[in-house]
Amino acid sequence: MDSLLAFFTVFTQPELLLLVGVGTFAGVYIGAIPGLSVTMAVSILISFTFSWDVYPAISLMIGIYMGGVYGGARTAILLNIPGAPSAIATAMDGYPLAQRGEAGTAIGITTVMSFFGGFVGIAVLAVAAPFVSDFALKFQPRDYMLLAVLGILLVGSLSTGSLAKGIFAGAFGIAVGAVGMDPLTFTQRFTFDIPLMRGGISFIAVMIGMFGVSEALLQLHHIGLPAIRQKITRIVPSWGTLRKHLPLSLQTSAIGVMIGALPGTGGDIAALMAYDHAKRVTKNPERPFGQGAIEGLVAPETANNAAVGGAFIPMMTLGIPGDAVTAIMIGALFIHGLNPGPMLMIDQPNMFWFIVGALVTANFFMLLFGLTGIRLFVKIVEMPRSVLIPLILLLSIVGAYAVNNSITDVYWMLGFGFFGYFMRHYGYPLGPVILGVILSRLLDDNWRRAIISEREDLGRFFWGIFSSPLSLTLFAAVVLIFVSQTPVWSKAKSALARRQDR
Amino acid sequence: MGWMDHMQDQEYDNHDGTSDATPGGYPDRRRPGELAFAGFLLAASLYLLYSAYGIAGFEALSSPGAVPMATTAVMVISALIVVIRTAKLHTFANETISGSILPRTVIIFTGLLIAYGLLLKPLGFLPTSALFLIASIRILSDRGWGFVFAVSTGSLLLIWLVFRIIFTVLMPAGIVPEAEFIQFFRDLFQHGAA
Repeated sequence: MDSLLAFFTVFTQPELLLLVGVGTFAGVYIGAIPGLSVTMAVSILISFTFSWDVYPAISLMIGIYMGGVYGGARTAILLNIPGAPSAIATAMDGYPLAQRGEAGTAIGITTVMSFFGGFVGIAVLAVAAPFVSDFALKFQPRDYMLLAVLGILLVGSLSTGSLAKGIFAGAFGIAVGAVGMDPLTFTQRFTFDIPLMRGGISFIAVMIGMFGVSEALLQLHHIGLPAIRQKITRIVPSWGTLRKHLPLSLQTSAIGVMIGALPGTGGDIAALMAYDHAKRVTKNPERPFGQGAIEGLVAPETANNAAVGGAFIPMMTLGIPGDAVTAIMIGALFIHGLNPGPMLMIDQPNMFWFIVGALVTANFFMLLFGLTGIRLFVKIVEMPRSVLIPLILLLSIVGAYAVNNSITDVYWMLGFGFFGYFMRHYGYPLGPVILGVILSRLLDDNWRRAIISEREDLGRFFWGIFSSPLSLTLFAAVVLIFVSQTPVWSKAKSALARRQDR
Repeated sequence: MGWMDHMQDQEYDNHDGTSDATPGGYPDRRRPGELAFAGFLLAASLYLLYSAYGIAGFEALSSPGAVPMATTAVMVISALIVVIRTAKLHTFANETISGSILPRTVIIFTGLLIAYGLLLKPLGFLPTSALFLIASIRILSDRGWGFVFAVSTGSLLLIWLVFRIIFTVLMPAGIVPEAEFIQFFRDLFQHGAA
């Protein structure tokens, strides 16, 4: 009964309802404008909502998150430029549709499918999270440690980039998170005897730099971008179209939730994997993939919105973020004195049900804004980048300064911005860095707890891992990621294939 | 890998790395400066490993230096792998540092951002931001000064109002008597209401 009340918190407080609505509206446009990403917006916002209560702050962020994951699709369809990373796959079939003059149909389908996927994600979150959190109480410190390592590794291994660079990024993040005084022994770590570094590096400065400044600098490369004007006619898709794609949309939603729920991986990877899946299972598409197949819109759009609900599962139950945005939200909860993890679900179940309620509301708002306001949309997206980029940079600086009223944070932010700019150019993923910074403390604490409880004996530690099914599974997953990326694996695979041929 | 030479530049998308799903760079080519960057990362990682060793040495597995040492060791190993792999690749003939990696606008903006950071405290938020916006919009757009001034001051005013009033963010006032200004308006409205 209490949880039902908490679920409806958003509806009973007009202020929260308004914030979710404003957030979703802003999210759709932030997602749609190339160069403005959800991660960027949420990381800048966290510092501005610092002085707010936790409910309004979370409401706004959830709205932006839900709307932003969807919004990228529109520019992908209209301009062939994914407005957000999660819409990269959408452009492949959306833009050919727009070229045929069917942009309206494409936008309609992506909107309804995003709504559908969003609901599947939220439903799974609502059903699964309480179970996972019960289960999570059985987690040993070593399991938390393994899970954190797994999350940092997953981004590097599931993306198209190199695992070595992903691992480097993750380890770098953990090192950045360790800067300052060690909370247990007050030993200084990586401070180089500079008093300023004793307090550590503000993770908000790192995030705004990596996702705000580096992105804005990158956008300077594409300053002159032509916009295509489209006449948009029918938007709401027919019932028949929706029914026809129901089986596929269920499958791709499931992919989305799973990828979202894996620590570290989010909507962008989910969308690409779902697109691949659709290509494999669709036997006779009306049009070939890459030339305007409807299936090529259904798959990524259901998956990336389903990943939103999925990403909240590990965040709410284990305190381990499902993707970069939930990593930032964990930071926001910390700032507001909450400690995400299994105890949060037990101590404050209302918080969980409130988030579920806010997600549902945001999903409805997304449907509403998705099917209306296209004309306004075209105007806003045409906002010149020559104005947009300086404004993003200004907001990044204000955001970094606002958290601690400290100019040092601004310098850190700029430093990480320039560094992130080069990392992007040379193929180092940024997600693992943020994940590393956020999880550094958790990893460190749990390692020390685990090894102290085993009396500093590595043999006993590994014996503990091998005697617990959960630890063993996690450990095997970590090892498997490594092995699958080494030459040994491909050699073994080809050797096996040869043997089978004989 | 001769056939790769015939591959067109365009076949690679997203090489600027806007997303973690498709990070930048090329799987089989080296971008200009990539090896130097990897080398820098390796050197920095080695230094951090040395610094991590200095925290507690090999005192105990649960010492405050244990996780930092492990992570920096991982950094060194992965950076080394990246250096070796990158060194083996050929560079792109049609990419240059100044063209693809660090074009002039990016360098100019780097300078502008550093100048902003230096001026923010002494000059204050409003004048610094106004200068920054005017300079950067003027550099990026080919519009006249009138447009540049109108857009910069207009958007700055909006940002200031939103953040000062809705988010109650306090930026350094510098030479602008911000507090007195706001108080003036407050008094004005209170008198009006009374």
